[in-house]
Order: sequence, then structure tokens, then C-alpha cells
Amino acid sequence: MDLALQLLFTGIGIGAVYALVALGFVLIFRATNVVNFAQGEFSMVAAYLMVVAVEAGLPYWAAFIVALLGMALVGVVFNLGVYYPLRHRTYLPVIIATIGASILLANSVLAIYGPQPQVLEGWFETPGIQVGPVYLDSQYLLIIGVTICLVIFNFWFFEKTLLGKKLQATSQDKEMASLLGISVSTMIMITFIYSAVLGGLAGILVAPVLFVSIQMGSTIALKAFAATIIGGFGDVAGAIIGGLALGVIETFGAAYISVPYKDGFAFLVLIAFLIFRPQGIFGERVAEKA
Amino acid sequence: MRLTRRDFATGIAAGIAAPYLIRSANAQGATIKIGMCAPVTGPAAESGGYAIKGAKLALEAVNKAGGILGKQGELIVEDDQTTNPGIVLAFSKLASQPDIVGFLGSIRSTQVHAMAPDVIKLGKPVMIGGTDPKLTHMGNQWLFRFRPNDSYSGRVIAEFGVNTLGKKKWAVLHSTDAFGTAGGNALTGALEKLGCTTFDQGYANQSQDFTPVVLAIKQSGADILGSYFTFENDLGIFARQLRQLGVNIPWVGSPSIVNITALKLAGPALHNTYGVADYAENSSEGSKAFGKIYRDSVKVAPDNQSSWTFDAINVLSAGINKAGSTDPGKIREAILGIKKFPGAEGEYNFDQNGDGLHGYNIVKNEKGAIVFDKHIEFND
Amino acid sequence: MSAPSDNMPIPAPAIHSKPLLIRHLPYFIGAAILVALAANMRFDGYVHNILLQATTFAIAVFGLSVVLGLCGQINLAQAAFFGLGAYAVGIGTTDLHVSFWLCLVGGCVISLLAGAFLGMSTLRLGGHYLAMVTISFQQIVTLVMINAIWLTHGPDGVSNIGRPDLFQSSQSYLAFCVAMLAIVGYLVWHLSDTKLGRAMRAVRDNELAAGVNGIDVFRTKIYAFALCALLGGLAGGLFAGGFAYVSPDQFSFAESIVFLTMSLLGGVASPIGSAIGTGLLILIPEWLRFLKSVPGLYLAIYGLFVILIIRFMPDGIWGFVADAFARWRAKLAAPPVAGALQLKPAMTGGDTVLEVTGLSKYFGGLKAVDGVDIAVKRGGVHALIGPNGSGKTTTLNVLSGLYVATAGKIVLDGTDITNMPPHQRTASGLGRTFQNIRLFRSMTALENVEIGAERPGNTMVGKGDDALTERAMEALTFVGLGNRANELISSFSYGHQRLIEIARALASNPTLLLLDEPAAGLNSTEKLELHELLKRIAAQGLTILIIDHDMTLVSEAAQHITVLNFGRRIADGESMAVLRHPDVVSAYLGSE
Repeated sequence: MDLALQLLFTGIGIGAVYALVALGFVLIFRATNVVNFAQGEFSMVAAYLMVVAVEAGLPYWAAFIVALLGMALVGVVFNLGVYYPLRHRTYLPVIIATIGASILLANSVLAIYGPQPQVLEGWFETPGIQVGPVYLDSQYLLIIGVTICLVIFNFWFFEKTLLGKKLQATSQDKEMASLLGISVSTMIMITFIYSAVLGGLAGILVAPVLFVSIQMGSTIALKAFAATIIGGFGDVAGAIIGGLALGVIETFGAAYISVPYKDGFAFLVLIAFLIFRPQGIFGERVAEKA
Repeated sequence: MRLTRRDFATGIAAGIAAPYLIRSANAQGATIKIGMCAPVTGPAAESGGYAIKGAKLALEAVNKAGGILGKQGELIVEDDQTTNPGIVLAFSKLASQPDIVGFLGSIRSTQVHAMAPDVIKLGKPVMIGGTDPKLTHMGNQWLFRFRPNDSYSGRVIAEFGVNTLGKKKWAVLHSTDAFGTAGGNALTGALEKLGCTTFDQGYANQSQDFTPVVLAIKQSGADILGSYFTFENDLGIFARQLRQLGVNIPWVGSPSIVNITALKLAGPALHNTYGVADYAENSSEGSKAFGKIYRDSVKVAPDNQSSWTFDAINVLSAGINKAGSTDPGKIREAILGIKKFPGAEGEYNFDQNGDGLHGYNIVKNEKGAIVFDKHIEFND
Repeated sequence: MSAPSDNMPIPAPAIHSKPLLIRHLPYFIGAAILVALAANMRFDGYVHNILLQATTFAIAVFGLSVVLGLCGQINLAQAAFFGLGAYAVGIGTTDLHVSFWLCLVGGCVISLLAGAFLGMSTLRLGGHYLAMVTISFQQIVTLVMINAIWLTHGPDGVSNIGRPDLFQSSQSYLAFCVAMLAIVGYLVWHLSDTKLGRAMRAVRDNELAAGVNGIDVFRTKIYAFALCALLGGLAGGLFAGGFAYVSPDQFSFAESIVFLTMSLLGGVASPIGSAIGTGLLILIPEWLRFLKSVPGLYLAIYGLFVILIIRFMPDGIWGFVADAFARWRAKLAAPPVAGALQLKPAMTGGDTVLEVTGLSKYFGGLKAVDGVDIAVKRGGVHALIGPNGSGKTTTLNVLSGLYVATAGKIVLDGTDITNMPPHQRTASGLGRTFQNIRLFRSMTALENVEIGAERPGNTMVGKGDDALTERAMEALTFVGLGNRANELISSFSYGHQRLIEIARALASNPTLLLLDEPAAGLNSTEKLELHELLKRIAAQGLTILIIDHDMTLVSEAAQHITVLNFGRRIADGESMAVLRHPDVVSAYLGSE
């Protein structure tokens, strides 16, 4: 039981990371119908920005803001350079362009900053607390907390604010949105910025746990992508639940079935979902909305 | 008809090959060339940089001391991209230059396996750092190893843990790649001979979380941990989680546990662990000397990534000088005849398989500083 | 089904003046020269390895040109199939001591089955989901290669892989691989002109239209995947024999991306493009080795180039060249002159061609079509009209099988088609056009119509490609576009595209022709032409069910009208009577 509780905590922690990255996937997909294969690299770039800013002597919070602003800029450049020129083409060229962008981002960082993995200190001084039989890593606690806040924020933002509603309208029907006087290209730009910042946030939060390395983004992104599909593509709540579920499944699968095949569980669950429930956990609801 | 077509083909061939031939003819003679395949890009790019540095330092020293056969030595590096196809291409590119007399291969066993067929085809000596015991036992006479192979690391870890630390209930943790599997098997085998119980656990590289692994080790009731980690990120994450979840049993790890990147990433979580190290700075005069040169030049602490290439260049140059010729067969005989050669990694005594080293150092992490503990040598 | 009526076998005129083999002789001569060069030229080891890698990779990339280029389906697991073939040869020749040839075939079969299995997942999934399924498959194959040590030797890989006795030397083996490349290249090149190839292109260009033109979309995709995987497996087997060593990292997801990029760079739609792309992507990194003094720099440039290629050369290098060539050829080649189109609609049922009873279609709570009855009499034009949102198009989509009926029964010429998928309905004699034109945009007008003519059970077309072309030419000539048969769809005006769509349906010799708002978007001249065309079609005895709200066209062309509103039938009968019906008038003019 103690064992299971500890696994559950770690599973949720790692799942929350998947969920954050998955959220970025979902937002871009809803706005543009495109899967951004460079989403994981957003996380990696942000973590490096953070390391650079901290090393430059900025206080942690200031470095955090600088890194997120940097990510907003990455989002702008990414939209203008990768998505926007291809917006009238089918999904296939866009997928491949984002794959190219992911190679470009990862290796640019490698070229600039070298291959050494870096250490980024966590937000808290204490590494964690022992609650009964379970050790709670402080960084994972922070990640879980941030995820909860983001769920609430997203709900408020998309359902209650005008900008959020405009974004929703754009993602559901571009022609209709532009007839209503909404600038579709501005909305897409905002989406890319928001999604890059979200991905960056995930990267900065997870860096103290996983260290800062070139590969950190791609490993997380693939799982987050799986989480997105399990949650039902285009569903914000689904992405969160999917991410958490995946983290837990993976951790328990590793503990009780096989450690070396750990990465396989995510994909097996994914294939099972794709075959038996391709609409995802909350798929039904999405269909009704449409 | 057939003849003319053949002539035609050779004609075209000559036309295409001509610039090649001219170029290689021009390059002939000025220097003695040594080829090196190293990961300049890819996941191992960092250690690749160290490896190249080590080789260059050795060659500088050799050149100052009179060079190879009276000529200056020249190092030609090709990127192996840290992949198997990468090293096959990199090596064949080097191999196509006829004036390269010897080569430095990879520290990664799978890469050496990948290039091995081409090495046999070429028939020139290749220095390697891959520690899979099979590499020098599969009938490839052109491979020479500059690190003790994994059968030794496993035996040394077992020997040290059982006889020095007095522990018999082992947990053996290893990555599921070639390096980890071979190491894990060697350790488990050695422990069985010493009458220990073992709990064997593999993990896949680039895992983000080791909680299940740590809990499994905790549950197994082991009183000592032996490990083979490939990537420093994994080692760092595991070490932290191990300590966080309250596992404080002694830990003897493979060389990566004392590697500088791992020390930086894991920090205090690795304090008081033991590692087997082919390179330990205070283990011998040769290693001290290398440590000094390397620190002066590179400004970081030396490790096995650079020490083996350093030794490889020294031994290869010595071998060529001893042979008095660049004839591959003669170089091979000369290297195999090298005994009691003081290197950075230890004393080289080549056996007929091409293995130069037969023992390991045990080092201890004392608050982040790597301290030499003892050397364990095998004669069989 | 279709009637074995008085269909006369049509004498096929010689359209191609020379037999295929002679016209392609230059290709075989070129291939033979390449093979001879590979066999006789002296290479050093480096060049040899590069050539061998390029040759085997190119075969795998050919596979992608089938699934991605021809069929438009994404496959991010080609390295996995490549790996399956490679491991079959690797494990087979070393551990199992089986002959190389047997292993090669075995590897191909394993890949083929895996590919077909993956293709089956396309039944319910497309686009991004498919991308994810293939990535998952790729990851699982990689994990098994690494962890199933008892079988695959794990990460150590398999070494000392054997070669066939016949090609022991590196040189002869390379020549053998080049020969295989040439053969596979030829087959893939010509695949696009076969029935299967046309079906794949149709699926790529427009799945809906492909379905209603008699193509089994699902099966076509499975074939494409299986073929792609087969070529991947073959390439992998050859690769394993050539390099004598395989290990899991050679078949990782990253390699799948490399395959994909090769395919895109050269031009996804053709084997020549694939070969160009493969060659470049193997050579460019070699040329750019000097950039590697800074780690990551050259891969960064590589990534940048992927983006630029996609942006500025959407069809790849070869696509760019071929496009120019195709335009030039279309101008030169005069289409063959065709005879008059004959329409012989089957007549097995009674007087009523289409009998719809109690047809309903609900979307959740919305009753789009609710208990509609329609009886279409044989011969003449029947119109289905109604204001916007009355359920007309839904009815048509249920009729052609794009939607499954919630309730009711559809009988076409005596056959119950209620539960058939679209392509089977087409086979049963249903032809249709779309309100927003759905042509296969990458093809010429002629090729589009040929797909229609290929309808299973079309008795009006003889055996062989020539007969198919002739039938298609007749249909195009019938709508007045015979002289522009070899032009690409994009060069036709909107009105002409509509005519091509009608010609595509006519070529299949349907029993009933469904026209979905054929007058939408046409100017008044074109509308007149359309009216004339409908008359000529009806004169041949083909029954037309037309959906439109252009009252002029409907009232002039149709003898019988059914009116829908809010998903229900509100009037039915002879044209003029129905149009004066008070309910119809109020439905159109609005009455409170």
C-alpha cells in the first residue's frame, strides 16, 4: 500500500508534466488543426533560457519571467516561419515542417550551448517532505499545483473572457469567425504564443527533476502527444486527464510489469485507445459540441 | 561487345576517380596519419569532445618527443554521430585514405560491433574503448582495447563489495543497452561464483523516473547495490530518487558513477558511493602525469573518456616506432609485444586477444571529490 | 445488378502506337548501364558503403512514395519495417542458418503483414491519429528489438550476417542491389497507371469522391500500407546483407523521419524523386561534414532545409521538374478521337428505379431527414427540392452511403442497398456528383473519368487500359471536353469541372445518376448547356435524380418533383402541379 501511494504520487507528478505539454498540443491543434511536433522542443528551449538567465545572475523569479518572455518570442517566430506560410496546405506538409523545426531547435541549442546536461535548481530550498510513508518531492508538488491552477485558468480564460471566446470561435469555425470580424491570423498568433509559453513553463518546471538536456523535450513530447490522443484530440480537460493517466499507468506498469518496457505501456494504451475508443476519454462531448 | 562495355565502364571509373587519386597522391608523405572516429554530434557529443582532447594531447607530446618514425603525427577526426550507421560511414571514409596507418574507434561497444566487419576488411590496427568482452574474442585480430573489459569491471565490483565491504545480498541495476546488459551479466556471474544472492533489474535509457526501480530495490532487501549506467542524466535522476526514498545501502557503480557530468548532476546524492574506474587520478604515476597535462589544457577534471584515447595514441605511436614501419602486421606484432607500458589508465600488458588492461581501480566519492581507494588486478 | 444487356464489345483502337516494353526501353538500358557500372567500377570502401546505403534506403523510400505519394497516408514507421526485414535476414542467416533468399522473402512477408495490420487501423483513423499509430508501432518495434534479447540479441545487434553465395563479393552484391532498385523503381513508377494506382491517387485526392466512384477506400489504404511495408522490409533485408551488422538504433524513429524527409525532398509522388531525395540526403550530410566542428550545427541546418523545402518546393525537386514537363506534354499530346458515348442503364427491377421508404437520418437529437418516401420512375428526370436546411443533401448522402440511415430502406433497381458502403452502391449502379466539386485534383480530366469508368460491374467497357481510355474519352466528348482530356483539373473553369464530374459518373454507366445542385455556381450560359446535357442524358434512357433549388432548371428539366422541408416530404408529384402546391409555395416564400 505504501508502495502504491509512493508510485501514485510520482505517477501524478510525471503525468502533470505530460499534461502541461499536452495542453500546448491541444491549443495549437484546436486553432490550426495541426499537430506541432516541435512542442517538446519548446520545453527544452525554455529550460535552457532559464539556465542562461540564472547563470547571468538574475534572481530566480526574474529569470523565470525572462525565459517565458523568450518563449513568447519563440512562439511568434515559429508561427511566422513555420505555420503561417503553410496555412493553406494540408496537414501533412505542416506536420513535416514542424518536425523540421524540432530538429532545427534542438540542434541550434546544441550548437550554441554545447552538449553538456545542465543543472537547474528547483524553486524551493527543501528538496521534499516526508508525509507518513510517502516522500513528496517539492518540485513535483509545485508541478501538480501549477497544473491545477492552469486548469482553472484555462476554464476561466476560454469560457469567461472575450479573448478566450474569440479564440474558441476561431478554432471551431475560421470562416464564421472572420465573418464576425475576428482577425483569424491574430488569434492563431496568440495561440502559438500561449502554447509556446505553456510548453516553456512545463520545461522550466520539470528541469530541476530531469536536468536540462537537448533530449529532454522529445522524450516528454511523445508521451504528451499520446496523452493528447487518449484525452481526445482537441479537448483541454481530456489532455490533462490523459496526461495524468499516462503518468500513473506508466509508473505502475514499470513497478508491477516491467521496467525496461516502461515506455511501451504508453504506446500500448494509446493503440488500445485508438482502436477501441478513438474519440478519446471525453470524445462524446466534443462530438456534441461540434 | 562485352569487352567494349567493360572498357567504357573503366574509362568512366578512371575519370571519376582521377581527382581522388591526385588528391591522395599530394597528401602522401608529409605526416603520419591517425584516423579517429568520435561522436562530435549526437547524444555522446560531450564525451566525444573529451576523447578528441585526450588524443590531441597525446599526439602533441609524441610530436614533441620526436614524432612517429621521425615524422609528425596528424590526427584526422570523423564524426560518428553517436550512431552505428554513423560510425560505419565515418570509418569507411577514413579507411579509404590509404595513408592512414592506424585508427581510434569508439568507446561504445555497439559501434565497435558495427564497424568490426569493415575493420577486418581493411586489415589495419584499430584502438578501441568499448568494453564488451566479446569484441576481442570474436576472431578480429585488428582490435586493441585500451580499457579493461566488462568481465573485469564485474569481477572487481563483486570482489570489492564481497571481500572489502562484506556484503552478500546484492541488487544489480543496469541499463538494457549493450553496455549495461553485458556489465550486468558479468557482475551477476561474478557474484554467483562468490556465493551471493542477486536481484537483477534492467531499465531503459532516458527514463524520466526511477521510483519503481528504487522501490523494487528497497523491497528486495538487498544490502548493497551494483550498477551499470550509460547516461549521466539517468544516473543523476536515479541517485537523487534513491536517496530521497531513503535507500542508503552501499553502492558500487560502473565507471559512469565517477564521471564529472554525473558528479555535477547528482551532487550530494552520490557522496560516499564507490565506483570502479579505469582512470583514477592518483592510482599511478602515469595517471597523475596525465591528470596534470589535461587539467592544464582543458581546465576540467580528467576522466576515462579522455584517458583511453590518450593512451591509445601513445601506445599506437610507440608500437609504430617499435615496428619501425607502418606495415599493419608489424604494428600489430609490436603492440601485442608491449608489456609494462605505463599509461594514464594503468599498466598495459597486451594479451594475444588485444586486451591491454586487466584490472580496475576502486575509487570513492568523498563529498564530491574522487579519491583513489585501491587497484584490483587479475592475471587470468 | 447490371444487366447483361445488348452491350456490344467495342473494338479498341490502338491508342498507344508502340508496346509498353519498347517505349520503356531507355529505362531498362539506363538501369542495365547502372548495374554494369556497379558491378565493374572500382570503389573504395567509403564510396561503396555510401552507394550501398543509398541503394537500399531508396527502395524503402519507394515504399513511402506509394503510401504517402500515391495514397496520401502518412507513415512514420518506415524504419520499423526496414528493421523487420533487416532482422529477418540478420537472425535468419546467423542464428537459424536459413538461406539468405528465404530470409529475405520471410522478412518481406513479415513486413507486409505488419503493414497490412497498420493499414487496418486506417479504417477508423486518419491524419494525425494515423501519424500517432505509426509512431507507436515504431516505438514498440524498437523496444522489442532492444529488450527481446533472446531473439534479437538486444542492443548488441546481430553481426556476421550472411549474403547469398551468388553475390559474395561486395561489388557483385552492390550490383544486385542496384538491379533490385531498378526493378522496384520500374514497378512503383508504373503502379500509378494501374487500376490500383489510380485508386490510391483518388483516395489521396478525395476520399469521399473515391468512395462514391466505386473505390473501396479502406482496402486501397491497406494495400498501400502493405506495399510500403513490403518495400521497407525488402530494403532492410538487402541492407542487412550489405552491411553484415544490424542493431536497434539503426531502425529508430529518427530514421523514420530521415526516410520521410528523403521522400519529401525528392518529390513524394514518384520513384525518381525518391531516388533523388535519398541520394541527396545521404550525400549532403557527408559533404557537410566540415560543419560538424560545432556540434549540432549541421543538423540544425538540416532542420532548416526541411522547413524551406516544404515551404518552397512542395512537390520536391522532381515534382518541380516533372510539373513543368507535364504541362509541356499536355500541350503536345492531342487526345485520341472518341466515338459517341453509349449509356445502357441496367434494367432488372420494375418500373421504379429507386424506391426509398421511411428514410430517416438523425444526428443526435436533430432529425435531419425524417421518414421520407421517394419513388423514382425509370427514365426521365426526377427532382428533389426544398429550402436550405430541408434535408436534401442529407438525403443524397444517405442515398450514396456517406451517411448510414437511422431507419428506412433504399432499393436500387431491385437491389436493397440500405446497408452497403459507398463503393458497393456504386458497383450496384449508383453514380453521383457533388455540390462542391470533388475531383481528383492531381490528375488529368481523362484520368478522373477513367476512375469512373473503372466501376466494378461496368458492362460498357471492354478489357484492358485502352478500352478504359476509350470509354473515358467518349464520356468527356459527350460533355464537350474531349479535346482537353489531357489537361490537369486545375486548368479547367468551375463550370467545366462540373461537367468533368458528370462525365466521370456517366463513364461508369450508372443505373441512376444523382446530381447534387449541378447548377450551383454556374453562369446563365453554362446553365443552358447543363440543361441541354441533361436532356441528352435522359434521351439515352438514364434516370436522373437531381437536387437543386434553381427553380428554372428544375421546372424545365424535371417531370417529377419531390419537395422536402424540415426533413419531411411535403409534396410529391408531376412538376407543375407540385410547384403550385400551397405548402411548397409557403415553404419557399415563407409564411407565418
